[in-house]
Amino acid sequence: MTGKQRKRFWNTIQIILIVIAAIIMITPILWIFLAAFKTHVDVYQLKLFFTPTFENFSTVFDAPYNLGDKLINSTIVAGVTVLFAIPIATCAAYSFSRFKLRFETSMLVMILATQFVPAVVIILPFFVMFRDLGLLDTRIGLILVNLAIVMPFAIWMIKGFIDGIPLDTEEAAMVDGSTRIQVILNIVLPMAAPGLFTAGIFCFIIAWNEFLFALILTNKDAVTLPIGLALFKGEEGDLWNLLSAAGIIIMLPMFVLALIIRKHFVQGMTMGAVR
Amino acid sequence: MAQVLLKNITKRWGDFVGVDNQSLEVKDKEFLVLLGPSGCGKTTTMRMIAGLEEPTSGEVWIGDRVVNDDLPKDRDIAMVFQNYGLYPHMTIYDNIAYPLKVRGTPKADIKPRVEKAAEQVELTEFLQRKPKALSGGQRQRVALARAIVRKPRVFLMDEPLSNLDAKLRVTMRAELKHLSRQLQVTTVYVTHDQIEAMTLADRVAVMEKGVIQQLGTPDEIYNDPENLFVAGFIGSPAMNLINGSVRDGYFITTGGTQLVKVGGGDRGSVVLGVRAEDVDIHNAGQGDIDVPVYAYENTGESVMLTVQFGKQRIIAKGDRHLRKEMDDVVGLIVNPEHLYLFDPETGERIRQD
Amino acid sequence: MRDNKLKYVLVLPAILVVFATAVWPLIESLRLSFTVGRLTKPNFPQGYLGWENYTWAFLEEPAFWNSVQVTAVYTIVTVVLTTVLALGLALLLAPGGKFRGGMQTLLILPFAMSPALIGVSFRFMFNPEFGLFDSFFGIIFPPLAEISWLSDPTLAFVVVVMADVWGWIPFLTLVLIGGLASIPQDTIEAAQVDGASGWRVFKDITLPQLLPVLAVVLILKAIFSLKTFDQVYMLTNGGPGTATQTLSHYIYFNGMKYGQIGYSSAVAWLMVIPMIFLTYLYAKHVFKKG
Repeated sequence: MTGKQRKRFWNTIQIILIVIAAIIMITPILWIFLAAFKTHVDVYQLKLFFTPTFENFSTVFDAPYNLGDKLINSTIVAGVTVLFAIPIATCAAYSFSRFKLRFETSMLVMILATQFVPAVVIILPFFVMFRDLGLLDTRIGLILVNLAIVMPFAIWMIKGFIDGIPLDTEEAAMVDGSTRIQVILNIVLPMAAPGLFTAGIFCFIIAWNEFLFALILTNKDAVTLPIGLALFKGEEGDLWNLLSAAGIIIMLPMFVLALIIRKHFVQGMTMGAVR
Repeated sequence: MAQVLLKNITKRWGDFVGVDNQSLEVKDKEFLVLLGPSGCGKTTTMRMIAGLEEPTSGEVWIGDRVVNDDLPKDRDIAMVFQNYGLYPHMTIYDNIAYPLKVRGTPKADIKPRVEKAAEQVELTEFLQRKPKALSGGQRQRVALARAIVRKPRVFLMDEPLSNLDAKLRVTMRAELKHLSRQLQVTTVYVTHDQIEAMTLADRVAVMEKGVIQQLGTPDEIYNDPENLFVAGFIGSPAMNLINGSVRDGYFITTGGTQLVKVGGGDRGSVVLGVRAEDVDIHNAGQGDIDVPVYAYENTGESVMLTVQFGKQRIIAKGDRHLRKEMDDVVGLIVNPEHLYLFDPETGERIRQD
Repeated sequence: MRDNKLKYVLVLPAILVVFATAVWPLIESLRLSFTVGRLTKPNFPQGYLGWENYTWAFLEEPAFWNSVQVTAVYTIVTVVLTTVLALGLALLLAPGGKFRGGMQTLLILPFAMSPALIGVSFRFMFNPEFGLFDSFFGIIFPPLAEISWLSDPTLAFVVVVMADVWGWIPFLTLVLIGGLASIPQDTIEAAQVDGASGWRVFKDITLPQLLPVLAVVLILKAIFSLKTFDQVYMLTNGGPGTATQTLSHYIYFNGMKYGQIGYSSAVAWLMVIPMIFLTYLYAKHVFKKG
C-alpha cells in the first residue's frame, strides 16, 4: 500500500470510530429523552417508535410530585448562590491577580483543597449544626453550603480572566487620578464582565446539579430538583416515564448553559491547570 | 542524482489559491532559494516538496520518481524548521540521533555520526543538555546537526535564520554557506530576507501571490529584474520607481521634469526604475536637475539622501563623508547605463535594444 | 484605603466563606470522630471515646474494609479506563478534522448531566426487562441475556464503572484535546521528516510532551473517583448488598441511616488522608506553572 492509500484507510477507520464514540455518548441521553415522551405503558417496552405524549410533563408538576416547587427551589438556591458567590469571588480574584499577598500560596492552596475534600466529610458537622440552628430543610441552609462548593471554582475562573486583562488600562487610570476602588468598578469590572458571566453560569450549573448536600439537608420544603428524582418510585418500581420527564427538566437548562460557556469549561474545571 | 522537479503544482484551500500552477526545477546539488513576502506561497511550496502538504494538483519529483504518494519519511529528505522543532524532552544527543535511531541504524554507527555532526556545528560540549538550556543560535545549530547527520537527497530549510537576532543572523549566514558548500546536497531554502537570498543562493525563485515572478541567479534578479515586483523587492534600499512618460527619447516625470535619456520610441505611461547607487549626487547646478533634500540619513557606511521633486521622492546613495541638511538643494545625475523601464499596467519590464 | 490594606480586605470575605464552610467543618468533623452516640437521642454527643471509632473501623468492621476495597478498585479501574479511552478519543479528534467542532459540542452534553442523573439513566438502561443496554449486551454476549445486571454483584460493579467512565470521558477528552493542541506542531512534523512512523511519533514525541497534562488528568480523575457518591446512590444505592458501596456511600449510610455520626466522621477522616496526598500533588503541579 502506498503512503496515500494507507492514509485513506486510517482516515476511514478514524471516522468510523468517531461515529461509534458519538453514538455511545449520546445514546443514554437520547433514550431518556425519548422515554419522557412515552406513555406509562410504552416505556416498559423496548420501543423505538411510539406515539409521543406530553402527558408526563404535566403529571410531574401535579401532586404528589409537585416538581414545580422543586424547580423553584433549585432556581432560587442556585441563583442566590451565584449572586453572592460572584462578587465575593471577584474581590478575592482581583486581589490575588494584581497583588502580592503574604500567605498567598497557602490561601490559594486552601481554596483549591476545599474542592477536593469529599462532601461526605463535611456534611455531618453541617447536619448537626443546621439541626441545632433550625436551618435544616431551608433554602438558606442550602445556599450557604452551595456557596462553599462553588467558591473555589468562581475564584479560580475569575482570577484567570482578570489575569488576562492587560494592566495598562488600570495603570493609565491610576496615573490619571483614579483610586484603586474606582479602577475596579469602572475599568476592571466592565472588561471582566464576560468572565464573570461565564463563571456565574458555571457555578449555577454546579449548584443546580448538587446532590449530596441537598439529599441530607432537606426533607420536604427545600427539596431541589435532583433530589426530586428520588420521588418517582411507584409500587411496581420506578415510574420511568415520569422520571425521564423530570430528568429532561433538570438536564435541558444545563445543556443550554453549558453550550453557552463551552469554551471555558476545561479551564474552569481544572482550575487553571490546563488552558 | 537528486534534482527536485515541480510540475504544474497548485495548492488550493477552498477559494484561496496558495500556489498557482507553478513549475520549477532544482538542479542536483543546487542551492535554490524561494524568496518572497509572507503569504506568497514559498513555505507552502516547500512543504509540498517535503510531503507535509498535499498538492491539489500537479506532480512532485525527487530524483527520478514521482513522490506525490510518498510520506515525508520515505522521501529521503531532511528539514530545518523555522522554530527548529527540537524535541524538548530529549537531550541534544538524542535529538540529533533520532533520525538515525528511527531508521534502524545500528547502535555502533549512531555515536560517531552524531558526534561528527555536532562537531561540524560546534556543539560538541552541549550534547548532554536539553534544548531549553540552549540559546536561540545554539538550538538552530542543533536543528542543522539533526538535518546533516544523515545524508539525505534534499535539504529543506524553512526560514531557519528568521528567529535569530540581527548580528547572529549574519554570522549564521556565513556558517550556512560554508556548510552547504562542504556537504554538496541539493537544497531548497525559504526566506523573506532578500539579503539571505542574494548571499546564499545559486538561483533564486522570487514568489508573489502563489506565482514565481522570476527565476534566476542573484546577479540576474538584481541587475535584470523582469517585473516591477522583483525590481522593488530586491535591493536595499528598494529600487526607485518613478512614474512618467517617454518623449523624444527622454524620460519625463509626471511632474514634467526631464530626467534622463532612455532612447526608444515614445510612450504615454511608463515607470522608470533606477537604483539609489546609480543616482549620483552633486552640488546644486552641477547635475541634470536640481532638487531639495527631504531627508538625510547617515548609515555610517554611506549616506542616503531622500529628495523630492514634484510629488515623487527618490533615494540617492552618496559617499559617507557627504553632509547635507533638509531643504538643501542638490544636483542629481541619473546614470543612463543602469536604467529599467516597466509597463505600469502589467508590471512587465520593457526591453528595448 | 491604601493598596496594602485593601488587598487583604478584598480577599477577606472569600477566605471567611471558605473557612466557615470548609475548614471549620473539617475540624468539627475531626472532633465528632472522637464522639459516640446516636444522633437521634436527645443529648448528643453522649460521650467522648478517644480513638475507639477509628480502631473499630480498622479492626472489627468488615464493612469498612469492603468499602475501602470497592473504592480502591473502582478508583483504579475508572481512572485507567477513562484516561485511556479519553486519550484515544482525543487522538481521533485532535488532528483538526471536520468532526472536531461538532464532537466537542456533543461532548459537553454528558458533562452537563449531574452524576445523579447519570446514575438514574444507567439504571434505566440496565433494567432487566426494558433496558436498552441490557438487551444490547444480551445480543452480543448471549450468556448475559438472562442475567439481571444490577442484581449481580460483579456486573453491578461493572455498570457503576461504566456509568462513571461514560460520564467523565467527555471532560477528560476535552482536557486532553487541549493538551495535544499545545504540543508544537513542528516537533511532530520534524519527527515525520526524520523517519518516524505514526506510532513512533506518538510514542517518542507526542506522549512525552503530553505527560504534564496527563498527570493533571490522572490526579483529577482519581480525586473525583474517590469522591463518588451521587451516581452510586442513584444507580445501585451501594448494592446489591454492599457490592458497590464506595467509602462515601458507606459514610453516608452510617451517618444518616444509622445515625452513627461519630463513627462516620472517623471513617470520613480516614478518607481525607489519600485526598490530602492527591491535593498536594495537584497543587504542586498547578503552582509549578507560576
